[in-house]
Amino acid sequence: MSAPTHSLVQASGLSLQYQMGSKSVNVLHNVSLDIAKGSTVAVAGPSGCGKTSLLLLLSGLERPDAGSIFVDGRNLAELTRDELADLRRDRIGIVFQNFHLLASLTALENVALPLQMAGQVDALDCAGDMLTRVGLADRAHHRPSQLSGGEQQRVAIARALVHRPSLLLADEPTGNLDDHTADSVRQLLFRLNRELGTTLVLVTHDMDFAGQCDRVLRLYDGQLQEVQRVVST
Amino acid sequence: MSFLLNLAWRDLKASGRSLWIFVASLVLGVSLVAAGGGLYQQVTDALRADVQMLFGGDVEIQAEQPIPDEILSWVDARGDVSGVVELRTMLMTGQGRSQLVELFSVDDAYPLYGELVLEPAGASQDLLGLRDGQWGTAVDGTLAKRLGLSVGDDISIGALSLDIRAIVVRQPDRGLRADWGAAPVLIAEDALMATGLIQPSSRVEYLYRVKLADKGSAAASGFRDDLVRQFPTMQAQVRSFDERSDRMTEVLGQIGSGLLLVGFAALFIGGLGVFNSVKAHLDGKLASLATLRALGLRDQRVTAFVLLQVLLLAAMSSAVGVLIGALLAMAGARVVADQLPVSVLLGSFWQPSVVAWLFGVLTALTFALPAVGRALSVSPAVLFRGLEGQVLKASLGIRVVTILIALLTLGLLVLILPDPRLGLAFVASVALLLVVLGLVSRLVRWLAYRLQGMVGLPLSLQMALAGLQQPQSPMRVALVSLGSALTLLVACTLVVTTLMRTVNETVPESAPAMVFYDIQTDQIPLLMQTLQSAPDLLEVRTAPFVLGRLVGVNGSVLTDSDDIERMRESRDEHKLSDRRGNFDDVVVERGAWWPAGYDGPPVVAMEDREADQLGLKVGDQLSFEILGQTLDAELVAIYAQRRVQARLWLEAIFSDAALDPFVTRHVGAAWLPAERAIELQDKLAALAPNIATARTESVLRESRALLGRAVTGLAVIALVCLAASLLVLASVVAASRSRQIYDATVMHALGARHSLLVKLLLWEYLLIALVTAMVAVAFGSLLATVLLQWRLDMSAAGLYWTGFVTAVSVSVVSLGLGAWYLLLQMRLSPAMLLRAQ
Repeated sequence: MSAPTHSLVQASGLSLQYQMGSKSVNVLHNVSLDIAKGSTVAVAGPSGCGKTSLLLLLSGLERPDAGSIFVDGRNLAELTRDELADLRRDRIGIVFQNFHLLASLTALENVALPLQMAGQVDALDCAGDMLTRVGLADRAHHRPSQLSGGEQQRVAIARALVHRPSLLLADEPTGNLDDHTADSVRQLLFRLNRELGTTLVLVTHDMDFAGQCDRVLRLYDGQLQEVQRVVST
Repeated sequence: MSFLLNLAWRDLKASGRSLWIFVASLVLGVSLVAAGGGLYQQVTDALRADVQMLFGGDVEIQAEQPIPDEILSWVDARGDVSGVVELRTMLMTGQGRSQLVELFSVDDAYPLYGELVLEPAGASQDLLGLRDGQWGTAVDGTLAKRLGLSVGDDISIGALSLDIRAIVVRQPDRGLRADWGAAPVLIAEDALMATGLIQPSSRVEYLYRVKLADKGSAAASGFRDDLVRQFPTMQAQVRSFDERSDRMTEVLGQIGSGLLLVGFAALFIGGLGVFNSVKAHLDGKLASLATLRALGLRDQRVTAFVLLQVLLLAAMSSAVGVLIGALLAMAGARVVADQLPVSVLLGSFWQPSVVAWLFGVLTALTFALPAVGRALSVSPAVLFRGLEGQVLKASLGIRVVTILIALLTLGLLVLILPDPRLGLAFVASVALLLVVLGLVSRLVRWLAYRLQGMVGLPLSLQMALAGLQQPQSPMRVALVSLGSALTLLVACTLVVTTLMRTVNETVPESAPAMVFYDIQTDQIPLLMQTLQSAPDLLEVRTAPFVLGRLVGVNGSVLTDSDDIERMRESRDEHKLSDRRGNFDDVVVERGAWWPAGYDGPPVVAMEDREADQLGLKVGDQLSFEILGQTLDAELVAIYAQRRVQARLWLEAIFSDAALDPFVTRHVGAAWLPAERAIELQDKLAALAPNIATARTESVLRESRALLGRAVTGLAVIALVCLAASLLVLASVVAASRSRQIYDATVMHALGARHSLLVKLLLWEYLLIALVTAMVAVAFGSLLATVLLQWRLDMSAAGLYWTGFVTAVSVSVVSLGLGAWYLLLQMRLSPAMLLRAQ
């Protein structure tokens, strides 16, 4: 695994509260985080501990109650909603547990979507290349309903990477897949991370999957802790 | 933009059937608006274009005697004049057939507008002139067909035999009464004199049509008023063409407003379908919208993507609606064109079509925007956390834009309606209705909360009551959507059934078969004897018929009035009679009839139109001038014509004996089988040719046919409203379907029996149906009552049950169908459904 050169994500003093009826719940409390460019980071923790909230904050989809986040040198707090949207379109890729492909578009069109949003003219060609990378060139013109779960997740990964983002956020990317398919999706993510130099931050319950990342962070009681790796000799 | 358009179009195509309610709702509403607007525009344009032609000139002077040369010179100096003499009398064919006709003698200048088309063609004066000692005539085409007459046949009129030299193919000023009453027969003026029918008491009319250099209505009314001022003692009526068109426009405006309002009601109902349909569609697209946002599509572009879909669909659906509406309007215009000598003007359709299309798009936007705004508020966080617990609410911006578009739509509605007051009333009623339904929805929720805790209620009912309180309950959507649709449907039903009843009563079952005019007093025994020779005669009635003018009101002389309207009115000759033997079917609206056997000072009842025009009130002292003498009488009643019966249109009815000193002529009616009428008419025409006899069979047949078409039209409108309401129901079910199926399936999976789920669903829908129907009956009846009394002067008394039956049956049947559909869906395996979630 390559040693990180400098930071892509820098978060400090992050706090987030949710209102649950009349009660407020501290999801994140004074969390700080530094993720190096090109590295792979897994965030683990029990259900409801705030893993997803952390991803939402890093992607600019939610704003923290306190603290700051820099992604690729840009302070998310200073960006408007539109600028955050542009940041996601240009520099961030997201992979969801439930894939969330657009049912009305083919696999190729789904993958081309971020590039078309940015007005790139060769969007479909680039999408075709990316589908070949994920091994689905022959399924390019199929709609999501005609694809298996594993294939849908591969298309979703292709869509998340087609615009060559600096940061890939993945929320339980194998959570809905069987073991065999999940394994192939894991391999794909790591391979593309190496090939494209993308920084990968993923949320998972699967400690095997987490163990394959450069770093494992555990979120518990609103605090983020680095899990010490046991290096086998 | 092309990327978004492409994406929106592809997504729409993939949406398949989920938006069919949107399309159907809008198509129905827009087609009714386009049809109503198109038909109204068509008829008013055609009438406006043809009004001078139908009228015969810009101004018409009507007198019983030829007008003095002094007046004629004054008129002649200011425009082209054409003189026409008209006389209603009987025509006899060579085969002894007789028919009431309108003798029409014309001069060289006739017609001033349009063209008289004869077959064979030729100058009317040449054809009608004296040839070998015989006068010529040209007879109306319909009349010739009815009596089997053709060129070369001889006919007799009075003492004169005439040679038919031409058939009239088109006469520009031929009115509706030519079909209903007396068809025109053209003869030369000298021939008319030679008939021997021009007697001191005969009902001859001298008409002087004037064509002015300036075509405007202001010039025509200016000329009319100048003439009246210049010759205040002139014994003639003067009318300008715009008086006719004004009355026509007013009536058409009411009909047009009515048609358009029903159209807008259907469009409003359709709008509710659009809202529910868009909501259901977007609820299924929330994840996609969130995904687009998560992938970096800016908010404005996400909004543009959704709005493009709504606009594309609205534009296409409205275009289809406009097309259907224009076809309907064209079909309607053809029916009108058959009845009136107006031509179908294709140019009249474009403006109402554009307006209807615009309304379709604006209505779709108004109703879709709240659903769009709600969907657009979805956060991409749902992609991570799921949709559970998401509170979707349209932003303030979207709400403001929705209100602005709604106001624009309503403003346009009020502006384009021929009767803006009706439009404002409609807008206010709909707004009030929505407020009432919102309040009822809260009330139901509160009642459900109160009742739920009651001991002894069945579990299914308790659960249904609990369900009604949920934020996701279909109750609010159903109550607002179906409630307002049903309310408008109840109002439409009541208006339509009231109109139908009026239509059916307009043509009575037992109308007289024959009506007689110009019976001299000494001819009554002859008339009676001739009629009584028929074995199946049921009844004969005669009534005095006197012509007179109203010259004074409460001591003030109308000819001296400062009010030009009253001054002109004093020249109008009125048809007067008394109640003995009177067969005109009238109903007193203000005041009361005098008691039977009344023998006090003269009292009179007047027709409402005449009385209202002069601003008369019950209790006024009126002075009439009859045969140069004055008759004073107190106005004790104002009546309205109720039915098309004899169409005498008496303007005043006096107490018995008041008219006796003036009576020289009578009118009469006979009740007997229609087939016997032909024979009697011929017999009477041979014995007393001066008595004009009209058989009512054809009049009534024509009236029934025309009214039948009106009833069919009304029924179609009612059916469209019904269809729109059912679509709204479908949209309500569609909007809440997935949530209800999910809830039921979860309960089933937890062990609830199918029978309990069925009962629960039925309770829930039954409660909604009952509340919806009750609100619709109450508010719809109120709406219809106000509309009928205020604008149409009709009462729905005795017909409220139709609204009740409509509301209850449509509500129960439609919600029952919705429940049945949901029950079918619930037969699916819970495991499969839960996995799909």
